[in-house]
Amino acid sequence: MSKKIELRTKNEDTWCPGCPNHSILESTKRVLAKLISKGYRQEDFAMVTGIGCHAKIFDYLNISGIYGLHGRVLPTALGMKLGNPNLTVLGFAGDGDTYAEGMAHFIHAGRYNADMTLIVHDNQSFSLTTGQSTPTTQQGYKNKAEPLGEFNNPLNPIKLGLASGMSFIARCNARDIEHTAKILEKAVRHKGFSFVEIIQDCLIFNLEVNNKDDLMYKISDNKSKDEAERLAEKWDYNNKQGQIPLGVIYQEKKKTMEEKWPQLSALKNRKLLK
Amino acid sequence: MRLNILIGGKAGQGINKISEIVSKILIKQGYFVFNYRDYPSLIRGGHNFNILSISEEKVGSYQSGLDGIIALDQKTIILHKNKLKKKEFIIDSKDFETFGRNLNLALAGALIKILGIDRKNLMKQIKKEFNKKEALSAAEKGFTSQKNRFNLKKRNNNNIIIMTGSQAITQGAINSGINRYLAYPMTPATEVMHELAARQLKNNENNLLVFQAENETAVVNAALGASFSGAKTMIGTSGGGFDLMCEGLSLQGQSEIPLIVYLASRPGPGTGVPTYSSQADLNLALRGGHGEFPRVVVAPGDPLECIEKTNEAFYLSEKFNSLSIILSDKHLAESWFSFNRKPTKALKLKVSRKIPGKEIVKASSYEHDGKGNTTEDAEITVRKARERLLKYEKIKKECEKFEMIKIHGKKKSKNLIISWGSTKTVILDAIKDLDYKFLQVLYLKPLSDQVKEEMKKARKIILIEQNVTGQLGRVIREKTGIKIRQRILKYDGRPFSSDELRTEILNIKK
Repeated sequence: MSKKIELRTKNEDTWCPGCPNHSILESTKRVLAKLISKGYRQEDFAMVTGIGCHAKIFDYLNISGIYGLHGRVLPTALGMKLGNPNLTVLGFAGDGDTYAEGMAHFIHAGRYNADMTLIVHDNQSFSLTTGQSTPTTQQGYKNKAEPLGEFNNPLNPIKLGLASGMSFIARCNARDIEHTAKILEKAVRHKGFSFVEIIQDCLIFNLEVNNKDDLMYKISDNKSKDEAERLAEKWDYNNKQGQIPLGVIYQEKKKTMEEKWPQLSALKNRKLLK
Repeated sequence: MRLNILIGGKAGQGINKISEIVSKILIKQGYFVFNYRDYPSLIRGGHNFNILSISEEKVGSYQSGLDGIIALDQKTIILHKNKLKKKEFIIDSKDFETFGRNLNLALAGALIKILGIDRKNLMKQIKKEFNKKEALSAAEKGFTSQKNRFNLKKRNNNNIIIMTGSQAITQGAINSGINRYLAYPMTPATEVMHELAARQLKNNENNLLVFQAENETAVVNAALGASFSGAKTMIGTSGGGFDLMCEGLSLQGQSEIPLIVYLASRPGPGTGVPTYSSQADLNLALRGGHGEFPRVVVAPGDPLECIEKTNEAFYLSEKFNSLSIILSDKHLAESWFSFNRKPTKALKLKVSRKIPGKEIVKASSYEHDGKGNTTEDAEITVRKARERLLKYEKIKKECEKFEMIKIHGKKKSKNLIISWGSTKTVILDAIKDLDYKFLQVLYLKPLSDQVKEEMKKARKIILIEQNVTGQLGRVIREKTGIKIRQRILKYDGRPFSSDELRTEILNIKK
């Protein structure tokens, strides 16, 4: 039985022309198509998006989901898994979304280790609100809210993810559609919480951080914590120096939320709740 | 006959156990009991006390005069001695020093003897709960150390049970088939989390799972996620946590994912007086969350109503994909009430909405079209706003099937008391022999049209609330145009005593 799988809705695309969000959408569609061809059901996918440019993906993907609130991708996605552990949940979020408004949830995601995927579209800028700095913006960035420049150093989400005990951490380059799709597939298939940080240029705001492709290099899947920490240190998000490793930076087998809760184990592969 | 016995001591000395054992014995003897719990925000030490009120008839409050004091420390005697009536007794723990950890059981035994109840009833209860030699011996020695004072004979009231509001909210949620409860600890809502958590994995109760999230914003957003997935989901908090949840209430209004919120109030603003009681969060419950969207706010006044109204809240949320807020407070949540009526049969509710896993379904925080796609179109924006208004009208109509108000007291009296929530039971006790009708408002949103009808029939109207501004009065004025001039408001965190409330009512001349 082969029916035509329609993964793109008919909604008008309102991202800026040339925005790498288009590439992230393409990578996602490829992963979904591949997983569905391997036996995943389209109805079992559910997404959550935050608020920001990234979140427009909600309107373009033909899967279930909640277009949530700014900063709340993770708790909303966690709730979906608590309600029905059989869903394959994808969270799309921005850097401001995740590391500013939603930071508490980000840190706790490693503890819960729910079997779901967080994809952060990191353009180091609050772009939909016209270019203020986020927690990953480089020091010195002048913007309308901070005409004296951003005073503070950026935080390194990869290091934070490692410190928070996340069981799958990866980084991608939005422009590399094929590689991003490959990593996203690994993230979805990983049993436990997967965090994928996607470096994505914004073509309108904070232009000085763009075009880092020369610093990027691909790594093979890494499972050593020490090596992961070394890889995380290679780029500090603050300037265009050093090296930016792409690929699976860390992965470990860890008990998932669904395995910890007997109530959720009992529902696995069963229809939910009378 | 009505007795009020104060049991006081330091936190951790087991005063609740004394109230519990004695109450359980008393209800089997056909007596109604009410137990008020007063404690500061600390874990060991300080001064806690309970007032156990005992009556042949239904009772839902304490009186200010005491018939006896059970003192587990000297501070209790110093603080409360002046409230003793004439035929008083004091049991001083100084005389019971040999009992160590079983002091509270010895004192329970002593009180049972003072009340005049047979030894065998005491021993049966202690055996049921502890079945340890030292426990039985302590209770027995306490019993024999006293004399029968009150001679309480067995009465013919059967099937009396004791329950707190928290236990009743829990029961109402279980009756409604709750699947998921999410919360972050906050007094006085936490008891419901504890009660439900203890029911997990028991009797396969609807695959119930209780989840403590990292904060209240996580709680409310995760709850919407769980509900979206098809789980019957409730969350609980007090005022401060509710403030944080307001973004999620607003998301509920737009996304139309069913949600039930239990709000157990305490005195604010800020951290306020955290272990005491207040009805100051009615405004918050009615209006929290940006934008305009429908909601139900229901305020039970006793445990039976907690069971029934929680069930209605679940039913309405699921039927209309809407928000239901169950508004309670510390007094109702943590005091013990006794009753011998069974709750009405629970309404069955079925999840028949679209859920992921079965089909593709989208919910959104943005204004959206029928498929969940974002829109900023002016026409659709207007249409959706009107749909939300219309939905509220439908909810209101459905609510009319339930008891939105109750009339108590002298049904034909021209003197009308209006109140809501936990003040119900003390008002009933206070007006027992007075020429007063009592209108209890259960649904604060929607407000029943009958409120105005009842007010039109009255000559004198008194508003009673446990807050400083008379928040129900404001709601009534907004809906009916009638300002209630006579008000009895209390805002020291302590519930009314029935005799003092009676005096205050009688002091209002016209």
